[in-house]
Amino acid sequence: MSLWILGLMVAFFAFVSFRWKWPIGIGLAASALLGGLLGGTPLWAGEGRGLLRHLVEGAFVYIDPMLIMASAIFFMKCIEDSGLLSALNLRILRHLGRSPFWLSILLAAFVAFPGLLTGLTTASVLTTGAIASVPLIKLGMDRRRVGAFIAIAAIIGMVAPPINLPVMIIGGGVDMPYIGFTLPLLLLCIPTLVLSSLWLAYPSLRGVDVTPVLAELDDGPWQRHGVKLLLPLLVVLALMSGPRLFPGVWPSIGLPLTFVLGSVVALVSGDRVRLLRAARGATHQALPVMAILVGVGCFIQVMTLGGMRGELVIACLQLPDWLLFAGITVSMPLFGAVSAFGSASVLGVPFLLALLGRPEIWVGAGLSMMASLGDLMPPTALSGIFAAQVVGEPNYLKVLRHCLLPAALLAAWALVVILFAEPLSGFFAGLFGGV
Amino acid sequence: MKRFHPWILLALSLLICALTARDFLLQHRPDAIVAGPGVTEQRRLSEWMPELEGTRGDTEVYLLAGADTTGGDVLVLGGTHPNEPAAFLAAVLLVENLQVSHGRLWVIPQANHSAFSQTEPQEAHPQFFHLPDREGGERRFRMGSRLSNPLDQWPDPEITVHHPSGQSLSGNETRNLNRCFPGRREGTHTERVAWAIRHLVDSEDIKLLIDIHEASIEYPVVNAVVAHEHASDIAGMAVFNLAMEGLDYNLEPSPKNLHGLSHRELGDHCAPLYATLLETANVIQGRLRGKTSEAVLLSGDDPCYHDAGEIGMNRVHYPEEGIPFRQRVWRHIAACRELIGSYSMMHPEAPLYISGFPEGTVLLEEGCGPYLMPVP
Ligand SMILES: [Zn+2]
Repeated sequence: MSLWILGLMVAFFAFVSFRWKWPIGIGLAASALLGGLLGGTPLWAGEGRGLLRHLVEGAFVYIDPMLIMASAIFFMKCIEDSGLLSALNLRILRHLGRSPFWLSILLAAFVAFPGLLTGLTTASVLTTGAIASVPLIKLGMDRRRVGAFIAIAAIIGMVAPPINLPVMIIGGGVDMPYIGFTLPLLLLCIPTLVLSSLWLAYPSLRGVDVTPVLAELDDGPWQRHGVKLLLPLLVVLALMSGPRLFPGVWPSIGLPLTFVLGSVVALVSGDRVRLLRAARGATHQALPVMAILVGVGCFIQVMTLGGMRGELVIACLQLPDWLLFAGITVSMPLFGAVSAFGSASVLGVPFLLALLGRPEIWVGAGLSMMASLGDLMPPTALSGIFAAQVVGEPNYLKVLRHCLLPAALLAAWALVVILFAEPLSGFFAGLFGGV
Repeated sequence: MKRFHPWILLALSLLICALTARDFLLQHRPDAIVAGPGVTEQRRLSEWMPELEGTRGDTEVYLLAGADTTGGDVLVLGGTHPNEPAAFLAAVLLVENLQVSHGRLWVIPQANHSAFSQTEPQEAHPQFFHLPDREGGERRFRMGSRLSNPLDQWPDPEITVHHPSGQSLSGNETRNLNRCFPGRREGTHTERVAWAIRHLVDSEDIKLLIDIHEASIEYPVVNAVVAHEHASDIAGMAVFNLAMEGLDYNLEPSPKNLHGLSHRELGDHCAPLYATLLETANVIQGRLRGKTSEAVLLSGDDPCYHDAGEIGMNRVHYPEEGIPFRQRVWRHIAACRELIGSYSMMHPEAPLYISGFPEGTVLLEEGCGPYLMPVP
């Protein structure tokens, strides 16, 4: 058994990041280094047998999400400058400001939107989340609650179709094509989005007068540029959906280039974009998260190398049947302390295999929501950390406290979908003639 | 964070890059495969698709032709997934040992050659494994990845759309050769390799395809012969003969709704090809395995899989001593022999007669060494 090494790695990581305030990415990489050495791997050895090769290799696993994140944040900075985001937001407030019920729900959907296209919570929190936070705070909502509102909506955006990375990771492990997930994912997302947004926002928005807030918001960009303002968003949407609408004809150019092209369009479609400032701001926001992903990659590689990954999975699967579902509900979000994607890959795949025989699409969808909740789990807590940044709350744990109840709701609902996968899939297959 | 001065971090990163670059570059060197006495021609896949020439996708094609050429043609693929080492090595042993008297045997030991040049992040696999050769020397082979190297094909789309079926898979499967068949001439790197193999099958009039693989013990299809419906008789006969020899195999029909796999697509597009695929159980691919090392790769013995067996996660019996590499290679060789034998029995007008198959007793007792030639 080498799980004690994992324990030491976690303890070391907690110590350096909470006590010594090391950046999380560096703390993770350092604890990976420690774990590898404790496991008996020499730092350097011929033919790639050394620990350094493993650390570098692990560090590269999330290079694509890192590039997507950096370019998406840059894109959002650009359309923020061009005036597009504020114009959209103003329209939401103008049409819905007098209806706190719809405002809560649609604003949550607005926040979730980038996550739904990129599969990343950070894309939501830092962009539409940042925009939506302003009027919510102005309408008198507690800023920590606003942070929680954004963080939870972003998690739901990550789970929602068309792009759900944890499901793809889980599916890749069991040869399950990414087909037929739209319905289960919508069933997971819509009720939870409605309930959690109402729980977090509705009480504070009820009875608030929207007129003074509207008067403060500037509609200049829309008056100056009109529909042209929407171009960058349309370009990005077209480049994203083209390959799926016209497979084989329309090449997929990848999300990073998609966002960069969208940004280029933003340069000419609205107010002046301060390019250098946008790039620096985007890098500044993206860098700590990219460092976390690098650290996570190192950490999991060392877990695999030393056998801790397998032992952890076996320990979870050894739970008696009646505890297995409790194990899923606890361990998958908890493993998100390292990474939600890691949770999907390390735990999601074996759990799906252990539940084989139930409708795997529904089970996989439920597991993906469990994994996605990991983005709220300290210390990485990508969604929570950025949400706190966005609303100006220095202690992200205070934002996470408001997330507790909605997160529990999400986990419970995911569990319901997993437990009742059989009747649910049967019911919807009957309804839609077997989608 | 002044504690981490940027220049110090940058210098440290550069040092680590310099130290590890050697390791990664070492994996770009080709493996030595020795043409055995039965090899009559050594060709390249680019002969069937000139666009592949000069790319990492171009790979060795060994032809073992009998003096009597009226027989049939059989193609064996190893290394479709380079992280399945017994599959690669079984193909190498065929190249180095077989002699064909009747018909022609084609072997591509490294079908996805690009994927041999990297290991998969987070899997912590060794980059190489070592085996003795018959003269007491050492042979080194690469342990690659399931997917083509991103240096050859990047970035992955968010969703892979299979050509021509339109089926969606997760994005990185776009670099999985066994999800890219029948391939596309103007397609991605991996689709081109698939297309070249398909073109070889068509233009050389291949009658039987054997695509050799391994899978993790918890994977639903393992210790199996997977067969396209057209090949089910041949595969069934082979499975029966293997059982007589004490080698248990499941006969699995090729799923009709999972596209891109060699047995499905080449069986459909290159009819009347008999398309088959072999799987053995390889712990080093599994998610439930413990410590990952070259030693486990070769011994196939992992304590975690004993625990996994107790909770019913294993799809095949996992014996006390594990499932060693030599045993998996033996299973593949025996299955190739029986598939070719069944084919020849059903097609006496165009059979393939082969001698020199490595023997089970020798493989199981002494390992692959006696069948590996020294590198000149
Ligand atoms: Zn395979």
